[in-house]
Amino acid sequence: MEPIDIGLWVSGFLLLTVLLGMRVAFAAGMAGMIGLVWIFWNKFGYDPSRFMKALTIAVKTAGQVPHSKVSSQALSLIPTFILIGYLAYYAGLTKALFEAAKRWIAWVPGGLAVSTVFATAGFAAVSGASVATAAVFARIAIPEMLKIGYDKRFAAGVVAAGGTLASLIPPSAILVIYAIIVEQDVGKLLLAGFIPGAFSAVIYGLLIIGMAVTIKGFGPPVRGFTWKQRFESLPPAFPIFFVVFIIIFFIYNPFGGDAWGTPTEGGALGAFVVFLMAAYRGMRWAQFKDALLETAKLSAMIFTIIWGVLIYVRFLGFADLPGAFSDWITSLHQSPMLTLIYILLAYAVLGMFMDAIGMLLLTLPVVYPAVMALNGGEFVSAADSAFGMSGPMCAIWFGILVVKMAEFCLITPPIGLNCFVVAGVRPDLSVQDVFRGVTPFFVADAVTIGLLIAFPSIVLWLPSLA
Amino acid sequence: MAGSSAVLEDGSGLSRLDQSLHRIEKFLALISGLAVFSLMVLAVVSVGGRNTMNMPLPGYVDWIEQIMPLIAFLGIAYTQRDGGHIRMDILVGRLKGRALWGAEFLTALITLCLMIFMVWGSWEHFLRSFDFGSPLWSRDSSIDIGIPIWPAKLLAPIAFSVLCLRLCLQIWGYARAFTLGLVEPVAVPLVMSAAAQAAEEAQHVSGIDEDEETR
Repeated sequence: MEPIDIGLWVSGFLLLTVLLGMRVAFAAGMAGMIGLVWIFWNKFGYDPSRFMKALTIAVKTAGQVPHSKVSSQALSLIPTFILIGYLAYYAGLTKALFEAAKRWIAWVPGGLAVSTVFATAGFAAVSGASVATAAVFARIAIPEMLKIGYDKRFAAGVVAAGGTLASLIPPSAILVIYAIIVEQDVGKLLLAGFIPGAFSAVIYGLLIIGMAVTIKGFGPPVRGFTWKQRFESLPPAFPIFFVVFIIIFFIYNPFGGDAWGTPTEGGALGAFVVFLMAAYRGMRWAQFKDALLETAKLSAMIFTIIWGVLIYVRFLGFADLPGAFSDWITSLHQSPMLTLIYILLAYAVLGMFMDAIGMLLLTLPVVYPAVMALNGGEFVSAADSAFGMSGPMCAIWFGILVVKMAEFCLITPPIGLNCFVVAGVRPDLSVQDVFRGVTPFFVADAVTIGLLIAFPSIVLWLPSLA
Repeated sequence: MAGSSAVLEDGSGLSRLDQSLHRIEKFLALISGLAVFSLMVLAVVSVGGRNTMNMPLPGYVDWIEQIMPLIAFLGIAYTQRDGGHIRMDILVGRLKGRALWGAEFLTALITLCLMIFMVWGSWEHFLRSFDFGSPLWSRDSSIDIGIPIWPAKLLAPIAFSVLCLRLCLQIWGYARAFTLGLVEPVAVPLVMSAAAQAAEEAQHVSGIDEDEETR
């Protein structure tokens, strides 16, 4: 049997076990293990006396993956980002941000909703997790919006959509995972997420203002804050600015010269500041322990899926499935751009049924090389490429597009997790209400994705400076 | 889609085993959490030392690489206990009764097979760098300051063994639920509705708001 056939059979097995509800990490690991045994035994001509030898080689090959792949400095960003997110609640940053956003920008039409979007964007700067962001702001922002007469479905939609911003605005855990899987520079990818993330927030804001101007009886602006009140609202939100400042300067120094350190150090320093703030605000040991346990749980989940998938990837390498897929994709008689759009649409569909991290990790090992091949290869120059950008730049651009798709899926039915979370926090809202309220934001996201595809420089400008 | 789930407890033997194992798992997970915290402290010491005293922490990267396996592996069984490893539950979520327990039993069994292989494989990986005859019992060491690597490698088979125990318990739990046709068995994570999951997620991030109001 050809290795490629083994690759297809094993991938079919993987699909089956995932559908059966096996944990994605273990399904991928098992598929990889079976595949490795099969490939090696195939080489031995299925000689029964050499089965044990094939098994031993496969087990040893797979056994070194967990330790060798997780003990990397770049990956240490993930647990620190997660910890920052959990500590941020205890540091009272969410309320402070919402208050500051309200005092500074709620005077525009639809002001409170716009403030909510920018507060979630700001909170995204210390938190890498979308779902948690939505949960927190559902508690803070929805009651205030209801008080001044917003439609409750729309108020819920704003929070669910605003929560998705955390996946792009640095520090984004999902972008770090992407960078590890495709072996690209973590710092540049994090940096690349900044403008598209801010851009998404602005599009959301414009959409809300547009709706407020055209629809009668929409949420009124909130006026009457003095400049003194505005400036008073800033200090409690200070750690956010500090964390953003630190992380940016540790990735890229805008004043020229070297960055101040590595993203790893930046993330860890940011976490430390948030920890001090939380301690100052009276975080108790029980709460701290809860934060540590939750961080451990989420980290274990992410790392298990990383090594599980990497065992599968090692097998795929032997079976040369990614190579075959790339050859097929590049041989299609249609424009590479159209193929790319199909791939992104496929992600939108897949994301409706699967968790973003699981989806990306399972598909990227095959899809990423194909996209790179579409552009003309990993080391292609901008002039010779199909998308008009060099290989490394294409990797960054595709990463941002895919992550944006994944966050888009957080608000699409049937399992848009953010919508469930908002509905879960607010007993007076059904999930259907939230899905209805979030509909305008699909449109906004579709526009954003279209613009990011049409104008890659929105994504690539910042990382090209670093 | 992610799934943290509730695990029911009662006074039965299975449940007591589950609870004792849970204590061990929680302890390991807490070490993992503290390891994340230590990453933070290390960075502060490293950056602070470099900028104020011009004395960078020797072997900063080596230490991070030693700490990472603590974070990556030690929480694995704790996460499995609560059903925290992500999966696609769009299909299983619709199953009920014996069909559900049968599917859970099967996937847990396959997972156990994998983890037994992984204990074996990661133990072999550890053996390659461990040697009683060498200085610090070590055949290899980290690049910068030469810390032995075998303790970090040993963490994988240890954590995976605990996960195997957990999986055995879950397989027992599912088999029991299957044969007895139980509705709410103990010691296994129950599939929660998305709404219940969301409520749990929200619970971890609440608390502080209420605290502020009462202060």
